[in-house]
Amino acid sequence: MENNERKVSDFIDRLNKEQQPDEDEYSTESDELKELYQTVKLVKSVKDPTMPGPDFQKKLISSVKSEASRKRPQNKRKWAFFISIASAAAIIALIVNVMLPFGNSNIVNVMADAFEEVEAYHGTLEIVEMNANGKSTTQVKLEVWADKNGHYYIKNLEGSNKGLVTVNNGEKKWQVHPHQKQVHIFPSTPDGYRFNFELGNEINNVTNALATNVIGEDTIAGRKATILEVTPKGGEPYQIWIDNETKLPLQKQTAMHNAIQYKITYTEIAFNNTIPGKLMDYQLPKGFEEIDKNSEQVVTDINEVQEAVGFTPKTPRRLPAGYVQDRLVVVPSRDVAKIYYKGEKGKRIVVSQGESNGEFKPAANAILGKIDNNTAEIQSPVQDFVGMLGGGDPYAEGTNVNSIRWQQDGFEFAVVGNTPLEELVLLTEGLTDGEFKMPTVDEQEFSPQVEVPYDLTKEKNDQKSVDAGSSPWKLDPVFVAQVFVSLKISPDGIIGDYPISMDELEVIKNTGDEAIIAVSGDKTSIKKVYLKRLVRQDITGIWTVVGYDPA
Amino acid sequence: MAKIENSQLGDDDHLPSIEEICNTTWEPIYRFIYYKVQNREEAEDITQETYIKAMSHLQSGKVNPSKYIGFLKTVALNVLRDLWRKKKRRGTAVNIELINQMDDTAEDPAEMSAQRHLIENALSKLNKEQRTVIELRILKGYSVAETARLMNKKEVTIRVMQHRALQMLADILK
Repeated sequence: MENNERKVSDFIDRLNKEQQPDEDEYSTESDELKELYQTVKLVKSVKDPTMPGPDFQKKLISSVKSEASRKRPQNKRKWAFFISIASAAAIIALIVNVMLPFGNSNIVNVMADAFEEVEAYHGTLEIVEMNANGKSTTQVKLEVWADKNGHYYIKNLEGSNKGLVTVNNGEKKWQVHPHQKQVHIFPSTPDGYRFNFELGNEINNVTNALATNVIGEDTIAGRKATILEVTPKGGEPYQIWIDNETKLPLQKQTAMHNAIQYKITYTEIAFNNTIPGKLMDYQLPKGFEEIDKNSEQVVTDINEVQEAVGFTPKTPRRLPAGYVQDRLVVVPSRDVAKIYYKGEKGKRIVVSQGESNGEFKPAANAILGKIDNNTAEIQSPVQDFVGMLGGGDPYAEGTNVNSIRWQQDGFEFAVVGNTPLEELVLLTEGLTDGEFKMPTVDEQEFSPQVEVPYDLTKEKNDQKSVDAGSSPWKLDPVFVAQVFVSLKISPDGIIGDYPISMDELEVIKNTGDEAIIAVSGDKTSIKKVYLKRLVRQDITGIWTVVGYDPA
Repeated sequence: MAKIENSQLGDDDHLPSIEEICNTTWEPIYRFIYYKVQNREEAEDITQETYIKAMSHLQSGKVNPSKYIGFLKTVALNVLRDLWRKKKRRGTAVNIELINQMDDTAEDPAEMSAQRHLIENALSKLNKEQRTVIELRILKGYSVAETARLMNKKEVTIRVMQHRALQMLADILK
């Protein structure tokens, strides 16, 4: 009885705190408690409901959208099936689709649907470099095993790293260097390396492209294929060959940059149910030295984290749909705690946290949001590995790894994952209980006192040069502002160091397509520089100064 | 209850977006779910789950926009029933048909008002101390310690009193 009194009291306390009770009328084994829990709810129902926080609508829309985009390929497949049984005309269309090369409109969907059926694949990948004179050189040949959960085994069969084996089994990533007799260990997540021409990534890139056009037919490694020209959101168009039988990519040819282009081909490919277990099991070969670059230590619960790093890590109140906690780790050398979450199809999110060391300095090219009143650095994708993002495995540029980083209450947090930014935002909101604001610049705020004229044709040409690898500094708004202010100070040109240093420039707004840089110090009368991405509004777009404020 | 007009959610030529559907319907759906669970945390989660389950149907154009709220409430009830079934599997075997009056779809304002009257009437049948403890603990949301201080009693006494008061209320409401 006394126990029931306490349980009822706890139940009331949970409802008063607007939290889910540990036990309710559906989970209790006691008939008496069932009746009392129901009565408490009935009494409480006399009150008006407690409404959700002001950002609930935003969160709701974001999570529904995220789920809708996650389900889209399956729906399409169901839809295609539906049509096939509902309409004879559609059956014929489907047969034509299987027998003949694809039409322009459905090729991307067909490819995505075909990949849905693939569990794992095994093939030989050849990367060939070609110059403008038509000379070809085989750079590398790889044996590839990969599955749709993001696990892979890659062995270099030919090339400068012959014999090198790279494996990520979802828990651990390692590289076997046969010549040095060493095995290097890395965190499995986030894994920016992946490998070139991973089918899932490739299909995602095509799905997200600005435009796709069928431009011809060809035979690759004895297989008939359709050639598709893909215009990505950033960069020059490239070509991809799609196997007419499997409907999956077989070959890719990059655009020519600086008289060099690459052709990446699956000279052999077969589809399997799984990657053989022996390839995924970690074993240190005899006579090899293990070099742990990971330095992460798995712990069993939050108490162990507390003991190892001296603080109790915050855990998110809710997770994006489909995610579960995978493991807890600590990095004792940096007093950092990390919580790994895993979602479907190889999606991973890592939450890192540790006491903040000094002032928060966001990466120069990051978009700046707000969490409560704190600046949130948003990188989509991650390019600069500063603060809590550093100290781990290097992430490759241009991968699908996104991040949000901020400081709050004396701690620095980073939420990183190979997932859409919306999912990271959801988790961040669940973690902070604070309001997350994506950046916006209103017209009043973005109104320079002095406008700087520009020539859009020249900017487009500059963009092409940057796409080809020249003047990468134009991708950094702080650098562009530094050059602009320096040339105002020294109109005849800059000799030696810039008259204005990076320390005197601070990004105060960056929405991804508009930025405002504040200038401090007394070397110039310019106090603010206004920039825009005029040609392309993504991370590959160059920044142009469009105005400034004098003192 | 909010009434959704076709004009708010587009006409036949324009299927409503996720934003349009959520913005115009979330509040009555949230209130409906909150009424069943009586806590914000679960109400938010179940509202989200409801929209995730319902959205593809709503966006397919097969549901008339004027019926969105009714459709969403039905989906919400299915989500709640799934949840109750799962809880029952973890706990004791209770006949699912014996779902109490809180689980009914009753959402008619007249019925809700009648229910409110019924509960207030039941509360009036408690003795003064029992009524005070229920008001402080459940309607005003005070903790056991705060209630004990306000009523000048020990915490253990408050727990016993609220337990007995709830037993009495349950009997009255049967």
